[in-house]
Amino acid sequence: MSDHVETFEIAVNGQRRRAAVEADATLLTWLRDGLQATGTKRGCNQGVCGSCTVMIDGWPQRACLSLAAACEGREVRTVEGYGDDAVMRTLQRRFAEGGAVQCGFCTSGMLISARRLLADSPRPDEAEVRAALSGNLCRCTGYKKIVDAVLLAAEELAP
Amino acid sequence: MSRLLHRPGSVDEALALLAERPEARLLAGGATLVAMRNAGLVDASAYVALDGIAELRGIEQLPDGGLRIGAMTRHRETATCGLLRDSLEVVRRAASMIANPVVRNMGTMGGSVANADPGADYPAALVCVDVELELAGTEGRRRVPAAAFVQDWYETALEPGEILTAIFLPPPRTGRSTYRKLARVSGDYAIASCAMALTGGQGDEEIAVAIGGCGPGPLRDVGAEAALRGRLDDPGALAALGEALVALADPIDDVRASADYRLRVIPRLVRATLDDLRSERRAA
Repeated sequence: MSDHVETFEIAVNGQRRRAAVEADATLLTWLRDGLQATGTKRGCNQGVCGSCTVMIDGWPQRACLSLAAACEGREVRTVEGYGDDAVMRTLQRRFAEGGAVQCGFCTSGMLISARRLLADSPRPDEAEVRAALSGNLCRCTGYKKIVDAVLLAAEELAP
Repeated sequence: MSRLLHRPGSVDEALALLAERPEARLLAGGATLVAMRNAGLVDASAYVALDGIAELRGIEQLPDGGLRIGAMTRHRETATCGLLRDSLEVVRRAASMIANPVVRNMGTMGGSVANADPGADYPAALVCVDVELELAGTEGRRRVPAAAFVQDWYETALEPGEILTAIFLPPPRTGRSTYRKLARVSGDYAIASCAMALTGGQGDEEIAVAIGGCGPGPLRDVGAEAALRGRLDDPGALAALGEALVALADPIDDVRASADYRLRVIPRLVRATLDDLRSERRAA
């Protein structure tokens, strides 16, 4: 850990944001503790659980494995940044209606991974959904309702 | 520009930074290094991030038909690269089995190879297809065969101040190749793994086999492979190759499996991987 505090300017959800954190802080720390943008969750902090998954330059990546200093000049999009995105709103509604959210801790990371999947493959089959979400752990649902929610959202968006 | 993190635009600049700050850590995709930092295992006073160096990115075909993979090429790109076919397909398949899609968007071939985790997926695949690793230093560049890269547990041929810049693959040879991983769950590091390529005509097939996860670096016995040429359907001959690889193994007990289990599984893994390739050929 570095005691030295540094200010980083990173594009988040279309806006340039500045926050000061320790010089070697991760993007996750910068988002949560610097910006107080807490939609992105800190689970294992080891890149395993997926609850910190955010979009960086259009690809789902781990905020806990990204140094904030290395994100200057990149486009970060978090779950808070999808208010006007019809695909994400459909995913969110299907998650809520289908009981795919229990404790909710994994949900924002699941949504980011699912959003990328639907960009790449608008009508995925179940195996594709499971593969796309395989980097996001859920300890409540057993995954069935999450997978169903993504499949129903895809069907609704691309009938 | 942060004082902690440097983002050079060229390999020469990166080498100069490393020469100036020998304690700096090279940051590739971050999938391992930042996890270690979060666990308190790395406390770096400087990082040299390699993501801004254009020559380290991407996969290209060379005039001789071989391939050059830039060290910063992400697993996702390698896992979907159509140039990795026939005898080189094993590299594409190994990439597609690393961790999960999100980590494959981050992790790089150079980062994984340089980290030399015995349970990682690339080392066996790269030894199986006889790649060369390009190492750049302030004195110039040199190439090291993959089989000579890992020298001990987590120790490699990289000298202080050197950077792994590219992976050079030979031209693909007509045939089939695959990667079989024995792991507790899909995406975990391997308990043991087998990279295999079959080339040459039917009845005179050549086999190349490398085993991962059973020693500091991949295991390969070129002599035992040559003895098996044209005799792949002889179970006794195949078992001899398995035993030759067991004799090279130096496994450890860890959270994934015991050393004894790994020794027992090597010959079975070789046989199962050959069966995979045979059934793929029948299905084709």
